[in-house]
Amino acid sequence: MSRRLAAAFWFVVPFVGLVVIWAAIVALTGVDRRVFPQVTDVARAFADMWASGELATHVGASLQRIAIGVVAALVTAIPFGFALGISRWAAAFFSPLLRFSVALAGIAWIPLATLWFGTGEQAVIFIVWNAMFFALTYNAMLGVQRIPTELLRAARSLGTTRLRMFSDVMLPGALPSIVTGLRVGLGYGWRGLVAAEIIATNAGIGYSIFLAQRFFRTDVIITGMIIIGVLWLIVDRVLLAPLERRTVERWGMKAVVS
Amino acid sequence: MKTLEISGLHKQFVDSYTDEVVTAVGDVSFAVEQGEFISVLGPSGCGKTTVLNIVAGFEKQTDGSVLVGGREISGPSPERGVVFQSFALFPWKTVLGNVVFGLRMRGVPRQEREPIARQYLDLVGLEGFERKFPHELSGGMQQRLGVARVLANEPEVMLMDEPFASVDAQTRRKLQEDLTGIFESKRPTVFFVTHDVDEAVFLSDRVVVLSSRPSQVNEIVTVPLERPRDWRSVLDDPDFRHTVTHITDLLSGDESRVVQADLDSA
Ligand SMILES: Nc1ncnc2c1ncn2[C@@H]1O[C@H](COP(=O)(O)OP(=O)(O)O)[C@@H](O)[C@H]1O
Ligand SMILES: [Mg+2]
Repeated sequence: MSRRLAAAFWFVVPFVGLVVIWAAIVALTGVDRRVFPQVTDVARAFADMWASGELATHVGASLQRIAIGVVAALVTAIPFGFALGISRWAAAFFSPLLRFSVALAGIAWIPLATLWFGTGEQAVIFIVWNAMFFALTYNAMLGVQRIPTELLRAARSLGTTRLRMFSDVMLPGALPSIVTGLRVGLGYGWRGLVAAEIIATNAGIGYSIFLAQRFFRTDVIITGMIIIGVLWLIVDRVLLAPLERRTVERWGMKAVVS
Repeated sequence: MKTLEISGLHKQFVDSYTDEVVTAVGDVSFAVEQGEFISVLGPSGCGKTTVLNIVAGFEKQTDGSVLVGGREISGPSPERGVVFQSFALFPWKTVLGNVVFGLRMRGVPRQEREPIARQYLDLVGLEGFERKFPHELSGGMQQRLGVARVLANEPEVMLMDEPFASVDAQTRRKLQEDLTGIFESKRPTVFFVTHDVDEAVFLSDRVVVLSSRPSQVNEIVTVPLERPRDWRSVLDDPDFRHTVTHITDLLSGDESRVVQADLDSA
């Protein structure tokens, strides 16, 4: 327990340092606080947003979109990635397209998405899905390709039917790589979400930042930025880290770092 | 009827880079009786693994036939379980989960699986490790698990490809003795591939000695040792030493012929 506490302490220390430097710089330089707000201004903006329920609305809207986008990306990218992992022909055929698409994934699609879906939920979810899809597909493919041949052979000669090879061998076998894909993909999806919310919606953290810009509310903007970062840390701690601990680490399989 | 009958087995590979044709197995025929322990021995690269992979159903022969219980094989099957040099355990399954895997795949009812699995874990000396994951076991223990996983399926024949080659020498001796013990109590049919003469003689009823590529059966040597066997008494047994010497001569005679052929062609 004390080790956990120590780990938590050292996790927080750099942030505390950052806040102290920030407060000191604003106080010593006497910069216009409308241009660069003091720590207390941001804290007040946060408290106001919390009290008015605005914060909950924005966070709720963003989290719901990311959740739908992630589920959509998982159910589409894993089967596609598996198909590519199994068929050498399909992998060779789609590889150039995949590489091409990775560079474009997410934000570059916002103009088209708003034309297709209008400024609403669908466009944002499309961007989240799109931002994650290629990273997840690519890692699912690698995951299947990296399963040792002997493991597949062992399963076959233990009586595994072709259908059950998917659920009982390939899915767990590719999981380390899929978890990596999820981590990378969620990062893309998160950024895509914020960017898409600026343009395509009327609620959400990204939207709240954009709105604040129009009224020169730098305190609200920075509050929104901090929330985006904190939410990511929470998702990482609550979702990804336990997933890795329960699977990849417990099984002694190294998470694939790509 | 023989449990396993291999006749006129021939296998060519086409090298995917050079398009060169490599004959991995020249012409191999032999049969394995029910409850017999047979080793296939030969210099490295002579096609032992290829023969095993064909029998396992992982590869298709270019010519010849493989019959198990009188029927031509087609593809991998639980009647031919494989123990791999690299263990090939499922890292996401516990020790128990690995042994139960084959039973699940074959549709053995849930409540029957665990007692069967535990029986085989006891047999290989892994009782008490049921909840561990493979990576938490030593190499020797991992291979015990590999054996239990196959035997739990009660295959017609257990195929083993240099199963003890990646454990240390000390552990290897112990594993060989324990495998002999398991064989003597359960009498499975075993097809064992190795390049270690001592190992082949110690474990086997008969040793199929292959020549170097393109491999043919050089001689099938019957091992005149009593069972039960253990290393202490076998090492003192003149029959063991004679058999080992005889097989070593066969292998080195083969080598000198290869050298001679190289000289002739030069
Ligand atoms: N998939 C393959 N493609 C091409 N050549 C192969 C393949 N598998 C084995 N060979 C060749 O066949 C020969 C026999 O290999 P192998 O059966 O592994 O021998 P051993 O197990 O006796 O060491 C070797 O020369 C090897 O290079
Ligand atoms: Mg080999």
